[in-house]
Amino acid sequence: MSEPEMRELDRHSLVMTSWLCWGFVAAGSFSYGFGAGGVAFVTCGFLVILAGFVVHIIINAVHGSYFTAGELALGLVAYGVALVGFGLALLFSQDFARRQFLPVSLGLIIVPAVVLFYMIIHFGIRRTFASFDVIRRFRPE
Amino acid sequence: MTELMMIALCVLLAYALYIAVQCTRKDLDTGNHVDAGRNLPTWTYVFAASGIVVSSLGLPDHLRLLSFYGLQSNQLVLSLTIAALTGALFQRRLTIASRTIGVGTAGELFGAYFQSTTIRLYLLAVTSLFAVFFAAHALTDAGMLLSATTGNLPVAPAIAAIAFFLFLFSAIGGWRAVIYVTAALSALVLVLMIFITGFSAEAFDRLAALSVSGIARPEGIQTDTIPGVIQLVAGIGKEPPHGGLWTTAAGASFAIATIGIVLSPGFSFLGLTTRTRLGFAFSQVWILAALATGTLLLLGPVIGAEMAASAPSAPTVPADSSFVPLVGRLARADQLVAAFFIVMLIASLLIAVSFFAVSGASIFTIELVDRYLVRDMTGSRRRLAARIANATIFFMAAVLASFLPIITAILSSLTLSLSAQLLPAFLGLCWIRWISRRAVIAGLIVGSLLVIFTEPPGLVLFDGLLVQLPWGRWPLTIHSAAWGLAFNIATCLVVSLWTRDDLERRHRDQLHEVYLRDHRIAFGGRAARAAKWSLPLLWAFFALGPGAILGNTFFSRPIFINRDAVLGAPSLWVWQIMFWVAGVLLAWWLAYRVRLSIVDTSSVGTSVLTDKTWNAGSSRQPEWIELSLARLTRRETMARQVKASP
Repeated sequence: MSEPEMRELDRHSLVMTSWLCWGFVAAGSFSYGFGAGGVAFVTCGFLVILAGFVVHIIINAVHGSYFTAGELALGLVAYGVALVGFGLALLFSQDFARRQFLPVSLGLIIVPAVVLFYMIIHFGIRRTFASFDVIRRFRPE
Repeated sequence: MTELMMIALCVLLAYALYIAVQCTRKDLDTGNHVDAGRNLPTWTYVFAASGIVVSSLGLPDHLRLLSFYGLQSNQLVLSLTIAALTGALFQRRLTIASRTIGVGTAGELFGAYFQSTTIRLYLLAVTSLFAVFFAAHALTDAGMLLSATTGNLPVAPAIAAIAFFLFLFSAIGGWRAVIYVTAALSALVLVLMIFITGFSAEAFDRLAALSVSGIARPEGIQTDTIPGVIQLVAGIGKEPPHGGLWTTAAGASFAIATIGIVLSPGFSFLGLTTRTRLGFAFSQVWILAALATGTLLLLGPVIGAEMAASAPSAPTVPADSSFVPLVGRLARADQLVAAFFIVMLIASLLIAVSFFAVSGASIFTIELVDRYLVRDMTGSRRRLAARIANATIFFMAAVLASFLPIITAILSSLTLSLSAQLLPAFLGLCWIRWISRRAVIAGLIVGSLLVIFTEPPGLVLFDGLLVQLPWGRWPLTIHSAAWGLAFNIATCLVVSLWTRDDLERRHRDQLHEVYLRDHRIAFGGRAARAAKWSLPLLWAFFALGPGAILGNTFFSRPIFINRDAVLGAPSLWVWQIMFWVAGVLLAWWLAYRVRLSIVDTSSVGTSVLTDKTWNAGSSRQPEWIELSLARLTRRETMARQVKASP
């Protein structure tokens, strides 16, 4: 195994380990928060996810790398599933809609806002916009 | 809840398999399967080493003891700091010695340094105790926990499933994957412990169990105080100690057994296969002495108190099923968190099982198969040998755990104490050059006998075959490791008096010259030197030794005023917290400031003790093995020729 490959494997394992830990804690917080725990534990769940994101950034900085395509895709899929789940819960559970709408919707807004904030700091406004500029990407040269 | 727990365990399985597949896909050098190319990243050592020490102590056992004995058993957590200090004392020099001599296991290292096959065999015996019996005992615990909490899963299939899962991922990914997963599980256990305690505080009346009623008091147990410096009792099984088992003598001698984890061949193998500069120091100081000790010291009593408060009646012994009421209570608050509690306990046991079984397989492959049976193996054959060793060890552990749990428990009780008997050998290799081979071997023999006869194997055997011994397990509330080590060191010193300048001295001196020339540690002047050995002893005296008895009332009944102080917490707990902080500072001072754990291997070259002229340490294949193998392989070849012929 070459040195860069080994570093990539180390980094990837560390990232996975970090998300394994944060994921368990976030799942526990959300589970109790959606039940008897209330807003405090739901907020705690979102804070844990943000903490996981910050740790991921630190790992990237230490290893001099950026999010891989797989990690980005996994993050987007997880966020999409969370959005769909939230929508379905709002539709089918009145109690959930009454008690959890505000904290969960705020959390679902804050998480991408933090990601965007990080991208702006990391890339600058122009490159951040460019990374979402699908029209330019498909424009003929 | 069972379904949620199974899903959570399947997440861990998927994670482990994913990491194993990544490792085997990226690392195309099949020879690295055994030792990860001795190039494990620092972060894995940082988490894995601490996780291994904690899981070897046994997190479920510790919580059970806390719920039964209370804060007197919380003393045991401070022995993690002793483990950290032991690591600081040896890991650096062990790494330097291994790189200097050019060997990869503790057995090879001691074999080369002491020129002794006996010491190598002793290390292999300890390795097999860890890999088979110790791992099997942890496997039994994991299986019983899984069975007890699911309610309908028999123990034997639970054990078989866990063993198969651990074998599968380790056989795919090898040593590297095992250490990655061990590190991940260690971090997970730590995080879940903090989360579950926080959750309990929120869900169960803000820690009323601990702060209002204290840990429940079984009859005759002093839960908030240490029951004396020492008790003149015959030992467990003969005469129960009054007020509880954990006197200061028991706590301090248990800490000596904890040293056995750090001195174990598997733990040394982890250190020798890690590429590290600051990893040792960071792991010993900030993760083990600070984070792991602090978490267990502060949060353990909270969970222990909740366990005791959840029990329907005061227990008479620390029972295996003492988790079930708390799990039920957690499940009433939130099913997923209850499942995570069980996952945390099982994960802590899986660390011990997978680490010791796979390190054992790797060591056997290097020291037995590679050395004596099949010489000069190619990478893929080496991997095959490691997988066969792995499968054999897991199979034996699973069979023992399923069908012979009592025998497994009896034999595994020897493991840590016998491993701790290696202390003089480590001191000789790393620090004291006049400790000779004969002194180490004599000490090992005497120490091991003492250990065996103060633990169940010796007692049961002697009582059954000959006469009843007048003492039981851990006489005078002193752990077998301490009995063994006291006599071991005494023997070692006496024999060293006559053999300190023997013919082998020049051979041993070569390595110590390298330490002095290239890796000298500046201990400072006379006062500084005195401080460096006296402060750890002073700390140990007050934190774990006889001085800890002062903690019983030091803060609740201060000596200069005539009334009781209201702390809101037991005096002993505050004492333990104070010495935990002092222990972290001590570990930091020794590991970082004195540079005991800072490794600079950039200037290390393979230069000394590499001569293969001495018979004991050479990799010569014994003649009888060569002949036996030749006969077997010839017969196989002949059979094939007969089959192939028309």
